[in-house]
Amino acid sequence: MPRVGAVDLVAKGDRERLTAFLRKAPRTVREGLRKAPRAVRGDLWTVARDPLPSVGLLGWLPHVHVMLFVAIMGLLNANQSRQVLGEASALWTLIAVLQPAAALLALSRPVPAWWLSTIGLSATAAAAETGADRDTLWPWSVAGIALHTLVLLLLALRVRPRVAVEALGLTVLAGLLNTSLASQNHNQVLTRGAVIFATAVVVGTALRGRRVARTRLVRQEELTAEERSRRTLLEERNRIARELHDVVAHHMSVISIQAQVAPHLVDAPTAELTENLAGIRESAVEALTELRRVLGVLRSEDAGAEGVRHAPQPTLDRLDEVVAKVRGAGLTVTTETTGAPRPLSPGVELSAFRIVQEALSNVLRHAPGAAVRVAIGYRPDGLTLRIANTAPREPVPLPSDTGHGLLGMRERTAMLGGELATGRTPDGGWEVTAILPATAPKPPADPVEARP
Amino acid sequence: MTTIRVLIADDQMMVRQGFTVLLNAEPGIEVVGQAVDGLDAVAKVAELAPDVVLMDIRMPALGGIEATRRITGPAGATVKVLVLTTFDLDEYVYEALRAGASGFLLKDASAAELAQAVRVVAAGDALLAPNITKRLIAEFSRMTGAPRTPLKDRVGDLTERETEVLSLIAQGLSNAEIAERLVVAEQTVKTHVSRILVKLGLRDRTQAAVFAYETGLVRPAGY
Repeated sequence: MPRVGAVDLVAKGDRERLTAFLRKAPRTVREGLRKAPRAVRGDLWTVARDPLPSVGLLGWLPHVHVMLFVAIMGLLNANQSRQVLGEASALWTLIAVLQPAAALLALSRPVPAWWLSTIGLSATAAAAETGADRDTLWPWSVAGIALHTLVLLLLALRVRPRVAVEALGLTVLAGLLNTSLASQNHNQVLTRGAVIFATAVVVGTALRGRRVARTRLVRQEELTAEERSRRTLLEERNRIARELHDVVAHHMSVISIQAQVAPHLVDAPTAELTENLAGIRESAVEALTELRRVLGVLRSEDAGAEGVRHAPQPTLDRLDEVVAKVRGAGLTVTTETTGAPRPLSPGVELSAFRIVQEALSNVLRHAPGAAVRVAIGYRPDGLTLRIANTAPREPVPLPSDTGHGLLGMRERTAMLGGELATGRTPDGGWEVTAILPATAPKPPADPVEARP
Repeated sequence: MTTIRVLIADDQMMVRQGFTVLLNAEPGIEVVGQAVDGLDAVAKVAELAPDVVLMDIRMPALGGIEATRRITGPAGATVKVLVLTTFDLDEYVYEALRAGASGFLLKDASAAELAQAVRVVAAGDALLAPNITKRLIAEFSRMTGAPRTPLKDRVGDLTERETEVLSLIAQGLSNAEIAERLVVAEQTVKTHVSRILVKLGLRDRTQAAVFAYETGLVRPAGY
């Protein structure tokens, strides 16, 4: 039957694999054994361990618990050692101190602490061997097992799983060594002790694994967030650069037109004048060609909504449109202008417009239903913008600092050498203040306009 | 030769005044009015009935593209729109062409180019700046997606010769060049062109070129 044939085939394949494995196994095992001591030494002859994890709310509570546990078990251990070793022996005092000390050391240096604790365990076993009667647990006492379990747990929490397993293996090996050198039969505790130790290592390793995974996840999230905010920043700068180049290109084309028109405005233009104006026009056209290239690079897909794209780059004159739109969306907006309004340079006008626009859309997003006050102040040396809103109807989360809006405002202000301050107001609202330096008003120059 | 009557629509006073001075200095061209935004342009076209409108794209109140649509939309409207732009090969320019504009002109064009553009658009027997226009249409017609089937059906109404002429129009050839290519009289080409426009319901050869690319009759080379 084909079925059987198939099974045979699988079996045959398995057999081949098994044979190959068995053929290779001795060498693998030999190599493993040869390399093992060096690996173990590398793993355990060190003080390396993970940094202490932040425990958040728990604070020093775990440390306090460890210390209490060590104090109780230390007393118990001392008591047992004294019983087994006898009051006269000075060794019991040493052992009674050594093991709790190891457990405490495990809080900061788990690997050396484990060495200390293992040596302590073995030394106790060797010293107590003759004194221990048939009922006494041997080679390890209850308190000794408890303290060493704690050491192994703390170790497994702070080192790689392989290292923890090696430590467990060496602990059991030391116990076996003690047992093999025993002169009499004892109430043997080796198996039970090993199971308890193994449990501690498994629990510790599992907890550490979870912590490592979580740390990695958090780190990944941080990286992603960093990446995102960097991208946002670049996009925002790109947008600002595009708008400003656009404004410049617009002015350049006007210059090129004006340079052509000028000779027509005088009755008999001299050759020099014509030549000079032709030079101006040529430069303007060249500059425009370069600007077109730059804008080609900066152009992006999200050039904004249809209506915005077909409108000229905005200036403060068009603020009323934005305010009307925001009012339509349910905000109460009051505007106030102080000082004598005057035309500012296109870069300042555009940035001021965008800052107010962004601030208002932030209010719409984060404080629906709030009342907003927009104050624009014309000062001799600059322009101040203040957009403050009252507390929202219902509490909404604070806008994150890396948000697109705030970032854009900050970039635009920084570009002009101005200052931007944002923050909570005492009444629970939000306030954005920008100070933009702006030069003194230029005299309006419009020679074509001036002629009838 | 009759005078070509021009309306200039731009939100910037300097641009309007400048173009007026430059065009009025040209023989056979007269600027009959100026409009400060799209809405004004639509009103002035109705009032002054110019032959050609120089239309800025970015204007407050009503943008140049929508204004072009309103001006060229009504059946029987013969006014030609020439779009003014700071940037060529721009998707706005393509949108303007689709909206019914006959051509586009860079704002920094020389006085001679400006006058030439107005004359070509008014005459309607050649594409304006054939190479740039062709590239513009080729580049942006890909973005509008699959050919619209109702359009494709309409190609079927054309005779073989008319289809041939349409593809030559799309390649930017003027009537004279098409006549030379097909070894026929220019008058014959003119007849073909006007039949094509009537059959497809298009207003001029620019629209015919856009149509040819969007239906896939002409494939942009190199894409």
